[in-house]
Amino acid sequence: MKQAIGTIPLFGLGSGKFHDAVLFRGIDLATLQSIEASWTPMFDAAAAENRPEDAHWEWAAKALQALQNPLNYELFGIEADGETQGMMLVVKGGAKCFSRHPEHPRMPLVYVDFLATAPWNRRGLIETPTYKGVGRVLFMSAVSLSIEEEFAGRVALHSLPGAEAFYRGRLSMTDMGADKDYQNLRYFELSTTQAKQLISAGP
Amino acid sequence: MKRTMTLNLTEAEMSVLERLCEGKGLSKTALVRQALRLYKSVDERLERGEKVFVESADKAEKIELMVL
Repeated sequence: MKQAIGTIPLFGLGSGKFHDAVLFRGIDLATLQSIEASWTPMFDAAAAENRPEDAHWEWAAKALQALQNPLNYELFGIEADGETQGMMLVVKGGAKCFSRHPEHPRMPLVYVDFLATAPWNRRGLIETPTYKGVGRVLFMSAVSLSIEEEFAGRVALHSLPGAEAFYRGRLSMTDMGADKDYQNLRYFELSTTQAKQLISAGP
Repeated sequence: MKRTMTLNLTEAEMSVLERLCEGKGLSKTALVRQALRLYKSVDERLERGEKVFVESADKAEKIELMVL
C-alpha cells in the first residue's frame, strides 16, 4: 500500500527552479515497475567504472521484505514527472535500532537500510542531474519517522564508500568508523543534538 | 488504525517498565512497541534456523539466545 504524505519541492538543476514532487510512504506495483523500467536500464548501460555501488539492489525483494514485516520496516519514495526519483527502506525495531553514539548509547533509533536516488539524479552518471536534494528529503523522512516513534530524531546507517562524504559533510552525521561486522562499511549516526541542528538548518 | 488494550503487570514488572521508559526516553506504548519489534525480529531469525548470540564485552563468553 502506498500513501502520499505530502508535496515537497525538488530543485531542478536543468531548469534552475523548484518543482513539486510527492513524498510517499509505502510502495505499490507501479513504483516497482517504474524502477525496473527506468532505473535498471540506466544502471546497466553505465560503464563498469561508473556503475554505482547500489546498482545491484533489488527493490522488489526489499519491498516484499517490508510488506511482510510492517512492524519493523517502512518504505519511503519520491515521485515527480511520473517517475520514481528516490527510494528508502528503513528499520524501526530490532538489533540494528540501538544507538552506538557516545551521546546516548543504546537509545532507540531508526536505521536506514537502503537509500537510493534515481540514476538521472546522480552526478557520476549524468553531466547535469535532473533533481538535487532527493537523498536529503528521504533522509529527513527518516528523521521525521524517528521523532514520530519517540526516538528524538536519531538515525543510523552503514554507508557505501561513494556516499560517505554526503552523510559526513552534508548531513553532519557522526562517522563512527568502519564496522568489521558489516562488510567493513563505515557506520554513521545522527545524534539527537545533530538531528535538532539539521532540522533547524532547514532544507 | 490503532487499537487499545489494558496491560496487567505486577509491581516489579511495572517498575522495570517505568525505569526503561525513563532511561530510553519513551512512553510506555513506544517501549512496548519496541520490545515487540525486537522480540519479533529475534524470533524470525530463530525460525529461519539462524542463531542469536550474546557476547560479553571482553569476548570471553558467548551465549546462545533461546526464545520460547
